[in-house]
Amino acid sequence: MSRAQGLASALSLLPGLVYTRHVYDHLFDIYAPIGVGVFVVVVLAMGIAVLRYRRRAPPAAARWRENNRLEGVYALLLACMVAFLLYLTYSAEHKVDTVSAQERPSLTIDVISSRWEWTFTYPGYGITARSGEVGHQPLVVPTGEAIRFKLSSIDVIHSFWIPALRFKRQTFPDYTQDVTLAVGSAGLYQGQCAEFCGLRHAEMIFTVRAVSPRQFTAWAAGGGVGPIS
Amino acid sequence: MSTATSSVVRARRIPGWLGIATSTDHKRIGLNLGILSLLFFLVGGVLALLMRAQLASPNGHVVSDNTYAELFTMHGSTMIYLFVTPMAIAMAMYLVPLQIGAVSIAGPRIALTGFWIWLCGGLVMQSGWLTGDPGRDGWFSYIPLSDSTNTPGVGQDMWVVGVILAAAGLFVMAACVVGTILRHRAPGMSLMRMPVFTWTALVSVLMTVGSFPVLILVMVLLYIERQGGHIFIGFNGAIDYQDLFWFFGHPVVYVMFFPYLGAAAEAIAVSAHKRWFGYTFFVASMMLFSALSMSVWGHHMFTTGGVTNEYFAFTSTALVVPAGIEYFDMVATLIGGAIVLRTSMLFALGFFVQFLIGGLSGIFTGSPALDYHVNDSYFVIAHFHYTLFAGSVFGFFAGVYHWFPKVTGARLRESLGKLHFVLLAIGTNMTFFPMFILGQEGMTRRISRYPTHPGWATLNRIETAGSVVIALAIASFLANMWVSLRRRESAGEDPWLGHTLEWATSSPPPAHNFDRPLPPITSYAPLLDLREAAEDRARAGRGTPS
Repeated sequence: MSRAQGLASALSLLPGLVYTRHVYDHLFDIYAPIGVGVFVVVVLAMGIAVLRYRRRAPPAAARWRENNRLEGVYALLLACMVAFLLYLTYSAEHKVDTVSAQERPSLTIDVISSRWEWTFTYPGYGITARSGEVGHQPLVVPTGEAIRFKLSSIDVIHSFWIPALRFKRQTFPDYTQDVTLAVGSAGLYQGQCAEFCGLRHAEMIFTVRAVSPRQFTAWAAGGGVGPIS
Repeated sequence: MSTATSSVVRARRIPGWLGIATSTDHKRIGLNLGILSLLFFLVGGVLALLMRAQLASPNGHVVSDNTYAELFTMHGSTMIYLFVTPMAIAMAMYLVPLQIGAVSIAGPRIALTGFWIWLCGGLVMQSGWLTGDPGRDGWFSYIPLSDSTNTPGVGQDMWVVGVILAAAGLFVMAACVVGTILRHRAPGMSLMRMPVFTWTALVSVLMTVGSFPVLILVMVLLYIERQGGHIFIGFNGAIDYQDLFWFFGHPVVYVMFFPYLGAAAEAIAVSAHKRWFGYTFFVASMMLFSALSMSVWGHHMFTTGGVTNEYFAFTSTALVVPAGIEYFDMVATLIGGAIVLRTSMLFALGFFVQFLIGGLSGIFTGSPALDYHVNDSYFVIAHFHYTLFAGSVFGFFAGVYHWFPKVTGARLRESLGKLHFVLLAIGTNMTFFPMFILGQEGMTRRISRYPTHPGWATLNRIETAGSVVIALAIASFLANMWVSLRRRESAGEDPWLGHTLEWATSSPPPAHNFDRPLPPITSYAPLLDLREAAEDRARAGRGTPS
């Protein structure tokens, strides 16, 4: 896919839901080639210079001191690069933080983190799932819908991270933060606490089970206890 | 000797260990600080090896969860508070007075006191191992995890006190280096004639003086909190702690970078027999670099929802400009040079190549939308080890191979040095590069066991193997020092055709640094100026057009 098509497909997501995964992948796909390109250019320049100017008698060395005009132009180019990267970053962050918060969620889930488990409750459905040291009940979510997660903690700082969604947010005691996420396709995804929270931090993991909205509705109507079909 | 000098430098030396421990000679203080930092580096390295042993398999049983938390906390704390930062100050303490033609450091007794305060801090912090419960909340010990309810015990208190003392000692020594640069420069040594290393040291010590008091403050508040005070309350309290901590925690990253950049720059310029290119822009970029790096701390808090992410994304990404200038100057110094690939040069080139990976990945973490994924993952671990280990430690070794002859009068062995370099480069990349992939795939930091996703065990095993190669590299370095000091190959005053004033005195330098008049200080490379003038005279004498 060309750069222009990539940009167009990212823009086409705008009117619909914000998928944090797409926003991340789009940004990463621009940052990564730039990073690799800069690395290759610098290392090639260093390598060629070292090979070309190796093993000469010391008096053969050039006596240049500086070229401020050249460096000034170069610094301006760097500043333009910074402006370009910031433009991309700001538009990506705007989608993830601001646009998604304005979406009307079809579902709200309370996420309560504690040492060392996650408690997911679905207000209005009377469903509670727990995962961590105590067991592994999955976080069941519908695909293709905006889901508002109300994140909080009851003891120390934790961090709610679903790598497949390319998103995490710290959770704080006695404080609730809202984040709005959408899952693109059905499947099982790993989730975990990303902020060190004490002895069993490694066990504070959970599974996200993303199902179709129809399956989700049937599962939730059954009180969250039946099998998902 | 006048009374003025005898008040700053001991007229009569005390013999033996007592003399070494109480000397106010900046070279002795710098050397003591450097040697002890190196010992702490070995301690921190052993802790890292134990961590890598635990992670060699997904469900390792080498250490318990509790011990693992102690290992990563003490590894980070030891490396940051007791090795990379103090080593940077040690190099500044030893070299800056020599480079600016001073006979001593400003406030030598204060500097000596600072050294002892720092050492007490290190010992108090490490004493946590004796109480059986050393610090175990990570090197930034976020509240409320680090309060006395969630982390009871005297070991964490000793960690807090250790950090306070180590920071206070480093602050005092840094202030002495600032004073030396401002007040003790030789006649003719204007600020814009100071060597490249001295400039990097100056911005580092200025940042130390500006940011370490905030660390001392936040650790004192944490101590009060742990004794039952209610300092950091609720969400705002937790954010306040993170803000205060990272107000120190980011500048220190650059304190741990600039002097090593300066060391690598000096090694490159001298090994290319060519002055460092673009001095004016370099100095300006160091100023910009340090100003920006005092204002990027919030990028450690992108995922808290408690800071203005756009502002910190701006300052963090803007670091591209000064960093780009350093790299431009480095490449332009190489071009047209007469390059000798000795060990110091290899480490300096390795510093710039590998730090580039750390720096470029830092642009990723400076973007909130990318950091939402990679924050607190192994991607970040890879990123900062590429800056601090693959970067700063390579710069440190460039400095060691460059200045060892000056400090000891003996050269390090080139063959062992090259072995050291090759092993360290291989080990470093084996250990830290797979972490980028693991982080991207979702491996979180500070876990003693990890899921058995495809490839994770293999990547972790490569990392563990790499850490063993690093250990071998460090062993070859220690062997090199041992051999080189036992069977000395005399270095003479100036083995590399140096550019700066420390090469215009004996090796090691005498008590007052210079026993004969200084050469004229005409630029930031006074000895190169003399050499060039001599070449010009020789050419003119032969009648060839210059």
